[in-house]
Amino acid sequence: MVRQLRQVWATVKGLGVVGRYLFRRPVTVRYPDAKPPVQRRYKGRHYLTLFADGMERCVGCELCVIVCPSQSIFVRAAENDPLAPHSKGERYAADFQINMLRCIFCGFCEEACPTGAIVLGHDYELSGYTRESLIYTKDMLTEKYPGESGRDPHREL
Amino acid sequence: MSSERAPASPAQMVHLTIDGRPVAVPKGTTVWQAARQNGIEVPVFCYHDRMPPLGACRMCLVEVEKMPKLATSCTLEAGEDMVVRTQTDRVRQAQQAILELLLVNHPLDCPICDKGGECPLQDNTLRFGPGQSRFVETKRQFRKHVRMGPVLVLDRERCILCWRCVRFGEIVAGDDALKGFERGYHSQIATPAMEPVRSKFIGNTMEICPVGALTSATYRFRSRPWDNRTVQSVCPHCGCGCATTLNVRGADLTRTRPREHPEVNDIWLCDKGFFGYEFVGSPERLRAPLVRRDGALREATWDEALGRVADALRSTSPEAVGVIGGARSTNEDDYLLLRLFRGVVGTNNIDFRVETAYPQPTSRAAWGLPVAIADVERADAIVLVGCDLTEEYPILWLRVKKAIDRGAPLVIAGAWEPEVARWAQHRLIHRRGGEAALLRALAGGVRAEDGAAASGAPAEAIRAAADTLRAAPRALVLAGEAALEQPGAERVLAALDELCAACHGAPLGILRGRGNSGGAQVLGLLPDMLPGYRPLGDPSAREAVAAVWGRPVPSAPGRTVRGMLEAARAADLEVLYVVGADPASDYPDARAWEEARRGLRCLVVHELFLTRTAEAADVVLPVLAYAEKTGTVANIEGRVQRQDQALLGPGVARSDAEIFVDLASRLGSPLAVASWEQVFAEIGRMIPGWAEGARLAPPRPGAGAGRDGAGIPDGPLPRPEGALALVAGRRLFDRGTMAARCPGVRGQAGEPFVAVHPEDAARLGLRDGMPCEVRSPRGALRLAVRVWAGVHRGHAYAPRGYDSAPVSVLLDERGPVAVTVRPLGAP
Repeated sequence: MVRQLRQVWATVKGLGVVGRYLFRRPVTVRYPDAKPPVQRRYKGRHYLTLFADGMERCVGCELCVIVCPSQSIFVRAAENDPLAPHSKGERYAADFQINMLRCIFCGFCEEACPTGAIVLGHDYELSGYTRESLIYTKDMLTEKYPGESGRDPHREL
Repeated sequence: MSSERAPASPAQMVHLTIDGRPVAVPKGTTVWQAARQNGIEVPVFCYHDRMPPLGACRMCLVEVEKMPKLATSCTLEAGEDMVVRTQTDRVRQAQQAILELLLVNHPLDCPICDKGGECPLQDNTLRFGPGQSRFVETKRQFRKHVRMGPVLVLDRERCILCWRCVRFGEIVAGDDALKGFERGYHSQIATPAMEPVRSKFIGNTMEICPVGALTSATYRFRSRPWDNRTVQSVCPHCGCGCATTLNVRGADLTRTRPREHPEVNDIWLCDKGFFGYEFVGSPERLRAPLVRRDGALREATWDEALGRVADALRSTSPEAVGVIGGARSTNEDDYLLLRLFRGVVGTNNIDFRVETAYPQPTSRAAWGLPVAIADVERADAIVLVGCDLTEEYPILWLRVKKAIDRGAPLVIAGAWEPEVARWAQHRLIHRRGGEAALLRALAGGVRAEDGAAASGAPAEAIRAAADTLRAAPRALVLAGEAALEQPGAERVLAALDELCAACHGAPLGILRGRGNSGGAQVLGLLPDMLPGYRPLGDPSAREAVAAVWGRPVPSAPGRTVRGMLEAARAADLEVLYVVGADPASDYPDARAWEEARRGLRCLVVHELFLTRTAEAADVVLPVLAYAEKTGTVANIEGRVQRQDQALLGPGVARSDAEIFVDLASRLGSPLAVASWEQVFAEIGRMIPGWAEGARLAPPRPGAGAGRDGAGIPDGPLPRPEGALALVAGRRLFDRGTMAARCPGVRGQAGEPFVAVHPEDAARLGLRDGMPCEVRSPRGALRLAVRVWAGVHRGHAYAPRGYDSAPVSVLLDERGPVAVTVRPLGAP
């Protein structure tokens, strides 16, 4: 008898929880039609940022390469043509690749970057059908226009 | 320098206290060295242990009791009962102040600086520096970077004026390549008028620069120190065999750096060693075997190419097979070559001395140094005969320079004035062909006047040089290719013996051979020698070899390169097997080679590139370069060193050893070889003392060896009116097979030229830089004129080693040639 009463009480209590949440706004979103906002400091896909005049910030110093704990970055530097420079200074990154399959999104590359060139943006939709498609090349990483990444490259410089 | 000083007896020790620790060091040691020897680190920038202290950077300040101010430990000699402190607050403050001041004008552009990651200024700033600067004003500004020639990039903004590079040029290399200009705040390192730097050792200044002021143009931005895998290797160029470290990033050879080897190159390297590595990654490398089909070379499989070689070898009698080359392979490759051709094929026609038409028997004039390279600096007098030391064996020059600094006189005899002539006490610039008379006059065998008449060198200078040499108890005589590459070489050798005897039995070094020719010589890639410098004529030596090989060794001496070419012309030699050599460009008579080639039935070439020889071959086999295989090589002093594989070869290229093993199987006598170590060990069974690091010195000829033609008087070369006697010399920077594919070497070599004396130039209407035609009875070349007072009157100097204009076209294997130089209009 006591046992059955307890069971009824438990059912009522459980339905109470349902009832409590029934009239609240749902936390689920209709992904991918709707996208949940991320935190301001969320670390998503990388961008190579540009100066306002369109020059690349990256000088190919490879500090991100050496700091990367999962060794997912490859950089090959080259010398700027003084008449058509890619970056300010003598050196620029001729090739810049990040293997998104290896990246653990720790953000150390951003920390190490002396020019604020590499930032982790807010995109998290990183998937692909082949391994090759997840090696992001310089073209894919470089901002299409200054400020595309949505991050402030000056935050700590 | 204390490192060179003999160990002091206890009486000469001084006792001091450093950081509370009692320390005993030999008298004369500086406080910095005493601290260093006891594991206490004092930071420095300007001090370098291969050069005397200077005290310019003030980084090494220490506190010494009873001294009112801090003292620079690198210049302070350790004294008895001195009490030194290196870790006090005062010292630390001083270090921070010095670094803050050094960084006032340093641009801190580490992210774009090639030194970043291996920079003493970075390291010291991190360990001893203040962490932040109070300097907010504008920094000193220069043009950001200046290219000082094909290899050096100068960035004066980064310079901290430690003077290491300037002092290297003054003290170590003696070429004064870089100098300090202006004073005080405006001080800068430069060359006069910012001209391209002229040095053969400038790579070393990049190594010792404590900041990124001097960086390499070939390594520029290619890699970071943490990208590089390091592999030990040995420089493949001149015969010195300097120890190097290869830096590899992925599949790229990014740079070569010197590896410390006190017995060979110390910590230095010449610029050919520094910048002569890029040929390895050249896209022109051969990637697949080539076989002549329908008159043209076409790609083939290994099976087809080797099948063809094996057929040619099988269908030819052993005496009609010849092998030349071997100086660019490892000892293990060369040993298997011997096993294949001496043992399996059964021929003694083997010779690695491709670049000479006058080979002297090795038993009488072995190539190489009879003393260790490190002993050169201990000689009391040095005679250089026909040897352009900085062009041929630059690392030896650094040893000779040390001997000169100790007070040893340098005597130079040659047909042109070498770059180091300004360091010589006596310069005897003579006519070509007058070497023997000049040397006999130096030795006192003939009167100085007679020597002067025969050689064209002034009698006074000969007498003075002879007196200088007689006063030196331990002289060293070094003879080079220019003195010995002539028909009268036996007379020159006899005169050299006479000179050595007159110099209290001075050792005689014959400075010839490049790459691994030291190894080829000790292994006996020679028509009359067996491994270990044993003559072929010695039956017991032949038996010892036969016992290891399990096959008899043919006893009849073979032919030299010249003999093989003569035999080919007479159709006595049918198959010629060339291993890593380019006789079409390098044998000193191009026409003789062409005629010989026409007489050959089959020409097989192991090569990296499609050289002139390879273009004419029937079978071209692509092989691995020095950085692509592990093995050992031996240098001119006979020192055996190991080089490791750093890269994979291009395409299907194979090592020489693999090819020999495959051929042996096809000929029905497989060589059981599993690894290079096994071959190395087998060589050890044949050559006593064979080990890594061991030195197997070339034998000194016995006293009774006797030279032919001693005492025959020498005369000047007869030549037509207006013609000039041609002398061909080697240049460090040339455009040969390998160097032409290295931008750093190629760029420094410049275009091929012919140098004539100003008087001859005036007579012939030649001006500097003018194009001209140089014609000899054998052929003609178009070269640029260089008017140079260093060449003897009546002579024309042309460099070897330019494959686009090989001087061998003009040369004649039968004797010296006279050339006419005709201007081809204004430049």
